[in-house]
Amino acid sequence: MTKLRRHKYRKKEFAEIEYKPRSVKDLLTEMKDISELIVDLAYSAVKFDSEDMAKEVHELEFEMDKLLYQIRLAAMLAARTPEDAAQLSGILQVASAAENISNAAGDIVKLLESKIEYRPFLPFVLKDADEKIIPVRILERSSIPGYRIGELRVESETGARIIAVKRNKKWIYDVEKDFKLKTNDTLIVRGVEDGLLALKKYTEGKKKWPQIYKLDEEGV
Amino acid sequence: MKKEQKVEDLFLEMKDTSELMVDLAYSALLFNDKKIAEEVYHLEDTIDDLYRCIQRFAVKKTSKKNPDMALALIRLADSIESIGDSAREIADVVLRDIEPHPVLKMSIRESDAVITRVNVLPRSILVNKTLGKLRLASETGMWLIAVRRGKKWIFGPDENTKIKSKDILIARGPEAGEKVLIKAAKGKLRKL
Repeated sequence: MTKLRRHKYRKKEFAEIEYKPRSVKDLLTEMKDISELIVDLAYSAVKFDSEDMAKEVHELEFEMDKLLYQIRLAAMLAARTPEDAAQLSGILQVASAAENISNAAGDIVKLLESKIEYRPFLPFVLKDADEKIIPVRILERSSIPGYRIGELRVESETGARIIAVKRNKKWIYDVEKDFKLKTNDTLIVRGVEDGLLALKKYTEGKKKWPQIYKLDEEGV
Repeated sequence: MKKEQKVEDLFLEMKDTSELMVDLAYSALLFNDKKIAEEVYHLEDTIDDLYRCIQRFAVKKTSKKNPDMALALIRLADSIESIGDSAREIADVVLRDIEPHPVLKMSIRESDAVITRVNVLPRSILVNKTLGKLRLASETGMWLIAVRRGKKWIFGPDENTKIKSKDILIARGPEAGEKVLIKAAKGKLRKL
């Protein structure tokens, strides 16, 4: 089976990226955020054998390529003195490390291409980690539906971080604080065991969510 | 079956170590702290050892019967190892003679997951309790990356780590959790 090899910097793909003056800071913040989300997504994809999540990993991986290209341009334009250049090279080093992390995540989901019997160890790898990744479904009798993630403060209340949400057959990634949760949503969450158990009590309606916070314009 | 479990343990340790390395690397950048950056270098040796163990296991135990499985094992280990390498690259910026660019600090501060540093005051409810008992992660969403006690560091503390008065905690988590942790460390909260 021959596969088209995607060259990293094929001119055609990058010619379409018009140069938008975005600050190095914003670019780097986005790269850091993606580098963290993508690893969680990759392990989740492998654990739940989900091709949809694997696809999202590849999309984020490509997004990272673009961000790295943009940050290189921005850094070059910002350098005026040799001292500038030395400091900016540190920024580029961090940016390319973040991009390398996303490549590693891409390699992890490539394991899904091999037959399932060749990777029996994969689900176990995640089972007993310090922080586990599990799916939880929001049942109708739960007090959660209708509220936004920021109103519930899911992470600080239970320690469970939402990696992705499955609604009907669609996946939603990188959910923000103003994302409204609905009945039958399946959340893929990462956290320590007792936090995940606490969350499950709320999503199954065995316990009422303790406090609803107001979401101000900053979403905090 | 027992051997099988062993390779899983190796993977677990590798995965947890690689994640600690990334957290530490970003913390080192944020606080421009060479000691934290050096720890990332030390942890890379741990990852390398684990990587070699997994390779040996794969070649010795599975490659004859099931070469594809051996390959899958090595490929996964290889990916985790490159995450560790990337963390080292990030930490490397702190260990150079040039001061890291201020933008690095700012961009980490604006990230979705906040990294924070708090001093534990003597009257704090955290004092003299183990992490297992405090359940900091599930109560506040804050994940402890490192503890600094005087000149000593505890990197990747576990449930048996006891927090002491005057400890400096480095933790990662949501903004709302950061506020709770700061209050608790200052002794302004009686309950988490």
